Amino acid sequence: MPMDMPAVSQLDVAGDLLALLGETTTEPRPDNQLEALTLAVAADLPVLLWGEPGIGKTAALTQLAASLDLPLTTVIASVHEPSDFSGLPVVGDDPAEQGVPMAPPDWAVRLVRAGRGLLFLDELSTAPPAVQAALLRLVLERRIGALQLPPGVRIVAAANPRSSAADGWELSPPLANRFVHLQWTHDHDVVVRGLGGTWPRATLPRLDAQELPAAVDFARRAVCGFLTTRPPLVHRLPSGETRRGGAWPSPRSWDMTLRLIAFATAAGSSREVLSMLVRGTVGDGPALELLAALDRMELPDPEALLADPAGADLPERGDQRQAVLDGIVAAVNRRPEKSRWDAAWTIMVRALETGAPDLVVVPATSLAALRREEWDVPAAIERLAGVVDLSRRADRAAERTAVRTGVPAGARP
Amino acid sequence: MSAGAPGALDLDKLYTARLHAARVRPYLATALFALHTVESRQVPTMAVDRYWRVYVSPGFVDRTPVEELAGVWVHEVSHLLRDHHGRGDRAARLQGLEGPGARLRMNIAADCEINDDVFGDGLVRPAGAVTPQHLGLSGGELMEDYLRQFGLGPRTQGLVWLDCGSGADGMDREWDLGPDGAHGLSEQEQDAVRFRVAQGINGRPGNAPKGWKRWAEEAFHPPQPWRELLGAAVRSAASGAGAGEDYSYGRPSRRSAGLPGIVLPSLRRRPPRVSVVIDTSGSVSDAELGSALLEVAAIAQAVGGRRDLVTVVPCDAAARIVHPLCQGEGIALLGGGGTDLRAGFAKALRSGPRPDVIVVLTDGQTAWPAVRPPCRVVVGRFSRPKVPRWDEDDPYYRPDPTPPWARVVEIGSATAGR
Repeated sequence: MPMDMPAVSQLDVAGDLLALLGETTTEPRPDNQLEALTLAVAADLPVLLWGEPGIGKTAALTQLAASLDLPLTTVIASVHEPSDFSGLPVVGDDPAEQGVPMAPPDWAVRLVRAGRGLLFLDELSTAPPAVQAALLRLVLERRIGALQLPPGVRIVAAANPRSSAADGWELSPPLANRFVHLQWTHDHDVVVRGLGGTWPRATLPRLDAQELPAAVDFARRAVCGFLTTRPPLVHRLPSGETRRGGAWPSPRSWDMTLRLIAFATAAGSSREVLSMLVRGTVGDGPALELLAALDRMELPDPEALLADPAGADLPERGDQRQAVLDGIVAAVNRRPEKSRWDAAWTIMVRALETGAPDLVVVPATSLAALRREEWDVPAAIERLAGVVDLSRRADRAAERTAVRTGVPAGARP
Repeated sequence: MSAGAPGALDLDKLYTARLHAARVRPYLATALFALHTVESRQVPTMAVDRYWRVYVSPGFVDRTPVEELAGVWVHEVSHLLRDHHGRGDRAARLQGLEGPGARLRMNIAADCEINDDVFGDGLVRPAGAVTPQHLGLSGGELMEDYLRQFGLGPRTQGLVWLDCGSGADGMDREWDLGPDGAHGLSEQEQDAVRFRVAQGINGRPGNAPKGWKRWAEEAFHPPQPWRELLGAAVRSAASGAGAGEDYSYGRPSRRSAGLPGIVLPSLRRRPPRVSVVIDTSGSVSDAELGSALLEVAAIAQAVGGRRDLVTVVPCDAAARIVHPLCQGEGIALLGGGGTDLRAGFAKALRSGPRPDVIVVLTDGQTAWPAVRPPCRVVVGRFSRPKVPRWDEDDPYYRPDPTPPWARVVEIGSATAGR
């Protein structure tokens, strides 16, 4: 039939064109978002991805499922009814005698039969409230009707931010507290490069079996040490409209944080990834405080430095270096002994020789003030002459400033 | 240590200036010390990149007095602390600004934001520093606000050499070492430095000027645009159970026909009824009220409400219509009693059919109903500068706090935020 030929070949040509368009390559590229998501899923915590529609949440989940070797089941929440998740009531012959069973949908049966899988609940925020209520029970209790999801099934949900959700969906504080909230954004470069034919291939974190006990120990020390000094942050309900529906600190979410720190440590993840995860469990403010405390935990211990001043290894970054030097002065102040005082001077000289001199001025001045009358000035101090000079020049600059602005020089703090 | 080869960067002078800066601004010391110095002959003066490196021209250090250099240090670190590159990128996206001209304007606007409040009190303003007065603008505003107020022209002619680097306006420069270069700070490390500086300011609020205090308060909780918050609150109130779209067993589902023996609910929609109670005490300006009212009406329509289901209740003794009352722009409050929103609530609830949501637009200087009304309540509160209301007869008068059953959205001026 020659009449049909052109139509068929046109479709074939279209098929060829589609195949050409589909030919893309991948390149390895670190992806912090995906790494954070993988760790949270591995840690078996309910994850909620917040992101505008169409920025590749589904694509990320596909990649995650492939790398974890789990079959992916995507359920678009907004096209389902509440009974699809709470179970369809099936009226039997004698409801009063036998009760009304709640029949689960087919995908749930298949998931339970497989025993493992990644369940992705998409578009949580555009579903009607009754559907959302049913879905949240599924996420938090892992039940669909009479079915209990096996432990091998991991659940990830996705929602649009409040400002773009059509009906202003939001989580109540108790519900928000049970999720790891991950903000999903698109990377401009990745999108442009991907449309050009090269999509990123994320290398996913691998947990190091050797590291597990150390990771647990580190996570416990970090969270407990932090909460010991900041009791108000153990439990703080979100206040104000701005932070509604997001993460907030409570014993439950601190427990999740501890788990995620252990996972991130065992996987050797970067601070960026850890920051995303911790912000997602306890919220921005407490997360930043915890991360700042972690930074301090990783600085060299002043006592160790004082014990071996010649081999002291000071941090490269100026602000960290100054924090270490301040710590040393504080340590000498706590237990003033001549040998410790001398060791501290050795470290000051080392700091001067390996970095910017201005950082040494304040710690050196405080250290000099700790001198007892019977202590001889160590020879090392000679080498700090440059610091004294720098300090004097700064004083003179302050005096000149005072003349120019008409404020007395003594007024400076 | 000092005076190396001719033309070399005088690090001692540079660090003396940093020490002076850290002494007069102790709360910025962490940030100042976190900067990594890079010598560069391409930068005109000093410039920062978005990874907290500072590029320094040796010639500029040579010809600038120490006390002015200290000012430049504080100026450059302010760009980074205040995230001017991120905000510049955002402004570029939102307002569709692109190209070197727009970025120069951003640099100038960012400089204005910094220079209007960081100098003085022990710190000298460097020669040639651009100020809002320079451009004929008033001070104390944010970069985004300045950006809208001037264009490149005769007034900015002398500023075209100005270049604080990619850290100030978000446009990459040829001298930048980029994200992979040495000694860059990662985003998380930058946040940690900002956090520590903010903590230092909040811990000793007496020492820092107002601009820095505002920054410290907002550094990690940027103000959200009130339109979005009000929208979210009204949407969520209007689409909660009982109104909007939801499942009901009141009528069988269409699916039921194909599934004998199974009882299914059907999707019903009942458009929400929204009542807007407006505080017409005169302390709320025409423009504010108008824009808030428009916003509420638009949101109510977006969630499926019909125009006829949105009612407006001006709350005052007499039933006046809204327009004439909106002309009270800039008029001070009259008397001590003022409005009593309890009347407005009663009126809104008496009207039939009863509203699902009451949205109150007020400045908060009012009494509130003692019991929770039988519907959801969203309060849009116009923020007022801290001028407490004064009652001659009762000097201890304090307006009631907003009740806990209402969701409160602060309606401020257009906050650009971080």
